[in-house]
Amino acid sequence: MRGTFLWRYRVVLTSGLLLLLALHLLSAGVAPGARAEKPSLVLLWLLKPVQTIEANLADDTTGFVHDYFDLVNVRHENVQLKQRVAELEGQRTRLAELEVENRHLSDLLELREVLAMRAVAARVIGDDTTGLSRTLILSQGSSSGLRRDMAVISTEGVVGKLIAVAPNASRVLLIDDHNSGLDAFDQRSRARGIVAGLLNGELTMKYVDRTEDVKPGDSVVTSGMDGIFPRGLLVGQITRVSQEGPGLFLNVDIRPAADFRKLEQVLILTQKPPELAPDIKG
Amino acid sequence: MRLVALFSIATLIALALETTIPQLIPIGVLAPNLVLILAVDLGMKHHGALGAMIAFGMGYAIDSFSGTHLGLNAFMLTLTYLIAYALSRYLISTSTAIGAILVFLGVIMTGLANSVGNAGFEASSGVVGILPRLALQGAISALLTPWVFGLMGWGKRSVGLRPRSVRE
Repeated sequence: MRGTFLWRYRVVLTSGLLLLLALHLLSAGVAPGARAEKPSLVLLWLLKPVQTIEANLADDTTGFVHDYFDLVNVRHENVQLKQRVAELEGQRTRLAELEVENRHLSDLLELREVLAMRAVAARVIGDDTTGLSRTLILSQGSSSGLRRDMAVISTEGVVGKLIAVAPNASRVLLIDDHNSGLDAFDQRSRARGIVAGLLNGELTMKYVDRTEDVKPGDSVVTSGMDGIFPRGLLVGQITRVSQEGPGLFLNVDIRPAADFRKLEQVLILTQKPPELAPDIKG
Repeated sequence: MRLVALFSIATLIALALETTIPQLIPIGVLAPNLVLILAVDLGMKHHGALGAMIAFGMGYAIDSFSGTHLGLNAFMLTLTYLIAYALSRYLISTSTAIGAILVFLGVIMTGLANSVGNAGFEASSGVVGILPRLALQGAISALLTPWVFGLMGWGKRSVGLRPRSVRE
């Protein structure tokens, strides 16, 4: 066996086969629930206890004085109240958006009631390993009813969507990641576009027609057309609008409403948003 | 099997540190790529088909906690292992200095691959902008290489492993 071609070049041959396997995984774009994805979910599950301990460590360091003087029940009540405030803030933003829609779109046939949506609160317990992608690790998983492509929001605004869900942990793709894209519109002028991230971590709104009335300071909200985010959730604020050359579209820079570096608690919407009729601009 | 166990534990520890330390300290781009350092150590000192498979597994583990393309880091770490293997055989050396240079280049190479993988053909506009970040991350990772190599050396001695980097 030793001395044969296969033995002498075993490392190169094995590496070559593994490289081909990796390329196959990449090009196949592993489908949700595929067997190739299962080991990664096991790893998510495996590391969750360590990440939770470290997240608790970060909390304990700043909360030590509070824990020393406060009763444990008061801290628990505080956590519950924060979750309730986050739900109410989300409802308030959606109500404001429905009021604007009613004023501008007088030919709507009927108004929909703001439905209270089921949600699960989760803590942020980890970051992306390489720092080149924009993902976070959350403390809840499929055992809490979470599934891929569920919307993730915070009290400040839209955060992202779930891309991997293990039994007790999950990963969220932030809206400022280059692979992220969500359908949104300018709340004032109703100009629509796709909000996506750039390689440098900034947020932009693509495919906004150059004839649209879009100004810095305008709020950008979700359109509800992608079937993931309900209509009216705050995405961010437009900071700059420019036009390069004779192109068809404007360059629209957005400052996200949620500060992703300071996120500690998020809400995952476990209820699918209601389907909408095609948006009629008016 | 001892090699697999040792590098599996080391990879899990490295991943735990890489995903949680930014939560405690906002180091952002300064976070070193510890798993890549492990892959270079593997490539320089453990020549065999098993080493390549371990490197693939380590890259797959990174994919589980980073990005959206499963297989990208598995590809890059297997490639890094292969380059480290080839270089150590050609130079007949397992010098830490060479390892640090490989780590520096590996971080930049992996970072560029991640950017291209994420951005596709639009990458050209952003790649130049992230090169300074990658160079900084590479430099920090290279600075940590001797310590990581030393720790792994201690671990290998503890479990009775010896490097198999001589020509066979």
